Amino acid sequence: MSEETGKPDVLKEVPELDLSDSIRDFAGTNAEYYAKTITKIQADTENIKFWNMAAALLGPVWSAARGLWSMFWLFTLGELVALVQIGKGIWGDLGAAKMAEAEKFTQRASELRIEAANGDNAATSLEIAENLESAAEIAIAEAQALGDNWWLYLLFGVTAFVVLRVVQGMYANRLYEMQYSRWLVNRSIPSGFNWNRLGYAIAILLFIVPLTLYRFTVSTPVSWTIDFPANKDYFTVSSNWLDGWFDRTADTGKEFFDAITLVAQTVLDTIELGLVDTPWPVVAVLLVLVAWRVASIRVAIFTAASLTYIGILGLWEASMVSIVMVGTASFFCILIGIPLGIWFAGNERAYTAARPVLDLMQTIPPFVYLIPIIAFFGTGKVPGVLATIIFAMPPVVRLTALGMRQVSPMVKEAATAFGATPRQILFGVELPLARPAIMTGVNQTILMSLSMVVIASLIGAKGLGQEVLVALQFVAKGQGILSGLAILFCAMMLDRIVQGRFQRQEER
Amino acid sequence: MKDDVVIELKNAWKIFGTKADEAMQAIETAGIGKTEVLEQYGAVVGIADVSFNVRRGEIFCIMGLSGSGKSTLVRHVNRLIEPTSGEIWLLGQDVMKLSPSALREVRAKRIGMVFQHMALLPHRSVRDNVAYPLEIRGESKARRWNVSQHALGLVGLEGFEDRFPRELSGGMQQRVGLARALACDPDVLLMDEPFSALDPLIRRQLQDQFMALSEQLHKTTLFITHDLDEAIRLGTRIAIMKDGRIVQIGTPEEIVTNPADDYVRDFVQNISKLKLIYAHTIQVPIGDYVAAAGEDLSLSPRVSQDVDLDHLVDVAVTTNQPIVTTDEAGTEIGVVSKDRLLQGIKGGK
Repeated sequence: MSEETGKPDVLKEVPELDLSDSIRDFAGTNAEYYAKTITKIQADTENIKFWNMAAALLGPVWSAARGLWSMFWLFTLGELVALVQIGKGIWGDLGAAKMAEAEKFTQRASELRIEAANGDNAATSLEIAENLESAAEIAIAEAQALGDNWWLYLLFGVTAFVVLRVVQGMYANRLYEMQYSRWLVNRSIPSGFNWNRLGYAIAILLFIVPLTLYRFTVSTPVSWTIDFPANKDYFTVSSNWLDGWFDRTADTGKEFFDAITLVAQTVLDTIELGLVDTPWPVVAVLLVLVAWRVASIRVAIFTAASLTYIGILGLWEASMVSIVMVGTASFFCILIGIPLGIWFAGNERAYTAARPVLDLMQTIPPFVYLIPIIAFFGTGKVPGVLATIIFAMPPVVRLTALGMRQVSPMVKEAATAFGATPRQILFGVELPLARPAIMTGVNQTILMSLSMVVIASLIGAKGLGQEVLVALQFVAKGQGILSGLAILFCAMMLDRIVQGRFQRQEER
Repeated sequence: MKDDVVIELKNAWKIFGTKADEAMQAIETAGIGKTEVLEQYGAVVGIADVSFNVRRGEIFCIMGLSGSGKSTLVRHVNRLIEPTSGEIWLLGQDVMKLSPSALREVRAKRIGMVFQHMALLPHRSVRDNVAYPLEIRGESKARRWNVSQHALGLVGLEGFEDRFPRELSGGMQQRVGLARALACDPDVLLMDEPFSALDPLIRRQLQDQFMALSEQLHKTTLFITHDLDEAIRLGTRIAIMKDGRIVQIGTPEEIVTNPADDYVRDFVQNISKLKLIYAHTIQVPIGDYVAAAGEDLSLSPRVSQDVDLDHLVDVAVTTNQPIVTTDEAGTEIGVVSKDRLLQGIKGGK
C-alpha cells in the first residue's frame, strides 16, 4: 500500500503498453513514422496537431491509398469546388450570360428601328428601341465588371484549395490513429499503403474532375454532358407492351377475377346489410353498447359523441359505407394475413422471399396499383376493397410472424415434453402467447384501411372518401374538413374499441 | 435385475453442427478428439459416449458444471434432442424406434419433466397449467381438474389454483412445475436443474419437500444439478459429468470416499463427510485391533456398523473408549478408535 493515498501500489505504477509493433503492422509503408506519431497521439491530452506532409501534398490520393475513404470523398468534393472556382477565374467567360442578354437587347432594338423606319408606331418603337439600347449598355458594363473580377474567383479557389490541403495535413494523423484503433478490433478495416486503392482513387479523380470543371467553367458546354442520352421510344414500347399484357390477362383471367369479386362482394353485402340497412338508432345503440362492454365507459361516451357528429352533419350513410368497406378489407387481411404470418414465422426462406413483396405493398404509391385493379376488376366498391387489402395487409402479416417468433422456446419445449402435437402447440401455446403482437397487427391493419378510404374513392368506392374527393375537386374547404373529421372519428372509434378489448384482457 | 432398469443409455453421442454425421464417423474410425472435431467439422460435441442406467425407484443425479452436457443428456431420454448415435431405452422400449405418435404417447403418459426456468404457460391459471399434460392426452375437464387439485395438494399449493403463474414467487412457480410433472402420474421424472434458479433457502425447502414426496411416490427420477451438495442430498446414485463424458458413477459415499480422478476429488474436497460415511467403512476388523494398554473393549459402547460418522461422533463424546461395531445379528465385528474416527471425518478413509 502506498503511504499517502492508501491505494494499492499496483495501480500507481502502470507499465507502459507498447503498441508500436502492431502499429507497424498496420501502417506497412513508412512504419517507423506512424509508430512514432500514433504513439504520440495516443499519449496526447492537449489536442496537438501532428503534421502529415504526405497527406498535405497528395490530398485525397493519400487518404485513398491509406484506406480512409470517408476522408477521401469529403475532401474530393471540397477540392472539386475549389478547382471549379480556379477554373472559372483562369479561363471561364464570367460575363457570358450578361453579354448574351445585351446582344438580345441590341438585336431587338435594331429590329424596332427598322419597324420605325417602316412607319409603324414610329414614335413608340423608337422609344422602346432606345430603352433597350441603354439596357444593353448596362448589361455590357456589368459583363465587363464580372470579367474583371476573374482574380477574385482565382483567389478564392486557390485559398480554399490550400486551406483544404492544410486541414488534411493537420488531421490526417488523427484520423489515421482512429482507423488504427478500429483496425485492432476489426481486421477487415483497410490498413497499410495500398497501390490498388491509390490507382482506384486516381481513376475516380480523372473521371470526375475534368468533366465537372468543363461543365461549370465553359459557357455553352456540349449537350451530352448535361442531358442523359434518353430514348423516348424505349418508354413507349415498354408501356405499350405492358398495356397489351394487362388487356390479355384481364381477358384470359376473367373467371378468376370474377370469382374474387364475387367473394368480396358477398362479404361486403353481408356487412353492409348489418350496418347500412339496419335502422340507424339500432346501429348507434349497438355500437355504443359494444364500446362500453368491450372497452370502457369513456370509449362509449366518445363513440356516442362521434356518432352524433356524424349523424347531425348528415354523413351517417357515407360513414357506414366507409366502415363497411374498412370492415370487409380488414376481414380479408386478417383471414389471409394471420395464416401467412404463422407460415412465415416457421419458414425463414419463405419469409425472406416475401419480405420485399410486403415492403412493396406498403411503399408503392396506391395510385400505381389502382390502374391494374381497374383493368382487372373495373370500378366500384369491390376494387376499392381490393386496393385497401393490398395496402393494409402487411402489418398483420409482419406482426403475426414477429409474435410467433417471440414465443419462449422453453415453453414450447415444455409442451413438446408433455407430448403435445404441433397442432396443440400452435393453438395452445404459440397463438395465445403471440396474441398481443397479433392484435397490434390487426389494429394497424384497421387504421391503414381507413387511411385508404379517400384513395379508394378515386375508383368509385363511395362513402366518406367520396365526400372528401368532391370537396377537393371543387376546392370546398369546409366540406373537405368536415368529412375529413368524420373519417378521423370513425378511425378513432374503431381503434379505441379494438384496443380497449385488447387492454382489458391484458389487465387480467 | 435387468427388468428393474427403467432408463438406459448405451454409448450415446450427440454432436451439434451441420456436419455432425461426418464428425461422428471420424470419431468412430479415426478416434479424433473434441478439439479436432471443432476444427475439422465445425461441430461441437454435446455428449460423448455416455452409458448409464437408472433403476426403478432411485433418484439418479447427474452432476456437472455448465457446459458439461448434462441438460443435453437429459433431453435425450424423451428425445427432445436426437442423439447422433447410441441407444436409448426407456421401460424396456427402444426410444429411438418409436414413431412420432408413439413417442408423444410415451412423453404424455410415462414421463414428467421439470425445467430450470419453470416454462409455465403464462396465459393459463395455475390449475390449468398443472392440468396441461392431461389436456394434451384428451382427458375430460372434470378429471383434469380433480388430478390438478390433487397434485397441487401434494406440493402444498392449495388455494392458489386460480392465480396466474406471474402472481407466484419463483419457488411457488417451480412447485407448480413439479405438480404439472406429477399430474400425469408418470413412471419417470426428468428434472433439469429444477432448483438452480431459486435462492438457497427456498432451494433447501424444495429439496426437502421433493425428498418427502419422492419417498411417498417412489418415482424413478433423473435429476440434473450443478450443485454437488444437492446431488449428495438427493441422489441414490450420482454420475459426474465433464466435457460431455461421464467421469464417475457411484453412490454419494463412493464418490466422496473414492473419487475417480482429480476433477472429482476437487469437487468432493469440501463436502462434509459426516452423513455420507458409515462405520463399516472406517472400522478396523475386531480381530486385527490391537488394544492399547489399559483398554478393555468390554467397556466400549456398541453401535451398529451401519451408523454414519455423525452418529459415531455423538457416541464418542460420551466415552474415552474406542467404539465397537456390530452387525445386524449383534455380533461384534469391528472397532473404531478416536484416531480412526478423526481420520474418517477428515479424509474419508
